[in-house]
Amino acid sequence: MPLINEKTLEYLGQLARIDLSGMDEEKMLADLQSILSYFEELKEVNTENIEPMAGGTIRKNIFREDDFDSGLRESAPGRRSSAPVEAFPEKEGGFLKVPQIFG
Amino acid sequence: MKINELTIKSFHAGLMKKDFSAFEAVREFLNTIKEKDSDIKAFLSVLADRVLAQANEVDIDIARGDDIGMLAGIPLAIKDNILINGEQATAGSRLLENYTASYDATVISKLKKEKAVFLGKTNLDEFAMGSSTENSGFFPTRNPYDLERVPGGSSGGSAAAVAGGMALGALGSDTGGSIRQPAGFCGVVGLKPTYGAVSRYGLIALASSLDQIGPFAKTVEDAEILFNAIHGKDSMDATTVESESETSNLKLENCLVGLPKEYFAGGLDRETEKRISEAIQELKNLGVRFKEISLPHTKYALSVYYIILPAEASSNLARFDGVRYSRIADLRRPNAELRGKRKSALDDIYFNQRGAGFGLETKRRILLGTFVLSHGYYDAYYAKAQKVRRLIKEDFDRAFDSSGEGVDLIFAPTSPTLPFRIGEKANDPLSMYLSDIFTIPVNLAGLPGISIPTRNYAEQNSGTSAELRGSLRESASLPVGFQLIGKPFHESDLFEIGKAYESATRH
Repeated sequence: MPLINEKTLEYLGQLARIDLSGMDEEKMLADLQSILSYFEELKEVNTENIEPMAGGTIRKNIFREDDFDSGLRESAPGRRSSAPVEAFPEKEGGFLKVPQIFG
Repeated sequence: MKINELTIKSFHAGLMKKDFSAFEAVREFLNTIKEKDSDIKAFLSVLADRVLAQANEVDIDIARGDDIGMLAGIPLAIKDNILINGEQATAGSRLLENYTASYDATVISKLKKEKAVFLGKTNLDEFAMGSSTENSGFFPTRNPYDLERVPGGSSGGSAAAVAGGMALGALGSDTGGSIRQPAGFCGVVGLKPTYGAVSRYGLIALASSLDQIGPFAKTVEDAEILFNAIHGKDSMDATTVESESETSNLKLENCLVGLPKEYFAGGLDRETEKRISEAIQELKNLGVRFKEISLPHTKYALSVYYIILPAEASSNLARFDGVRYSRIADLRRPNAELRGKRKSALDDIYFNQRGAGFGLETKRRILLGTFVLSHGYYDAYYAKAQKVRRLIKEDFDRAFDSSGEGVDLIFAPTSPTLPFRIGEKANDPLSMYLSDIFTIPVNLAGLPGISIPTRNYAEQNSGTSAELRGSLRESASLPVGFQLIGKPFHESDLFEIGKAYESATRH
């Protein structure tokens, strides 16, 4: 069984872009460890020649007109093109305002 | 009878007879919310002005003599991970505290077309991860039956709103039991539709191969009315399909129901076991035949689920970067002290926003998901879980196989325990995860499942139950739900048998 240590936790935090400082790392490690131990039971299942199930989707191709916005028009009549701009957290003079990332 | 004690059907009748106007009804619901929700805390936001205006429109239609549908003026509560244009949608997360939805979810446009009205957005475990609503980034919701206990989760706010008479019906989302388990805990009906039956467009995604939106209601009939309004193919969610059948061919007298022996192999608490056996007996009295079946891979469902869900969630939640959607304002500047540690100022923003915005359980699952997808572990965990998921689904296929002795429905408890106390499982994630043990396999297999409250005999003979000792009396007054699981796109079978149980046991 793989052991998650502090270094692994740090690495996972890096991959997931989450600042872990201020978290009880010991408790997090212990919790993750006990959850991973629980998963060990899967080893006893014979899955030879079993195709992975990626989802509940009925696997049938679904087509639509190859046209830029037919999908949007069909079922989202109320959707406005300005909506994503309106939803943006900060705006100024019609521009999207993002936090300073240089300097 | 008070307006907030009506069902959707009797509300509609009252509206047509002009016993009350939609406006008066909504005002009464808003009063009930004001009165009760400071204790229960089911709502994250109440849309008071908007909902009164919506109700007014319905009254105008009625005054004009227009035909109005069954859902016109029906006051509903909506889980706060479902988008209503112009309203907040926090998904229970601090990170989305200031996010306003810029479009309607498909289920909302469909309900708006029916002129249903929306009282407010309900509390949930952050991003729908949890079984108690204690993981909400804002506050826990309490069970209307006992304020010291949890309402279940993650759609605990929606369940509590309906159970507390603060909405006639509600929408929730169910990824591993998040509609059925809180419905069971709060004594209301909750339906998780077949994967692909209801569009998820406008639902803040948790685990895309498992998520479904579904209704909460006081009766099976009401749940059916809501389901019929929201289901159907939607070009904005490629997993949706036209449902095969609208009406059920299932009759009580030729209905064969499977009892999976793995679900009854101990592990139920005493009160739950008693009420579940009583429900089985009631159904037998109605002529339903039962047969023991085996779903041999049941015991692996929890492991499979807690690999697949975090994997998909870690990927879905990557979009919450603190730059788009919403951000925590006082953290928007890069932290000079950390500059040495991070590659860029942009990284710094991501780390800080996500670190401060996500709660503990969300972090736990993102880290777990990142781990099971990471190089070297992918095959051992994620790929393995997907294979066992297929075996779990094939167990159900065999049980339902109509070429042999296949059953029409499967009966199971909704949850192994009664609603637990607030804080009881908060520090032990594994024991919290176990409360979804009977609901998770249904999502893994993509099947429809409904939770229906068992009849509470102890409550009806309150004279004798008052004699019982305190703890016994307490557990006897808490709701217990049972679950009916159907074949894909056979929601109508669940309604058929559910309604028969209800009409035989309710007065």
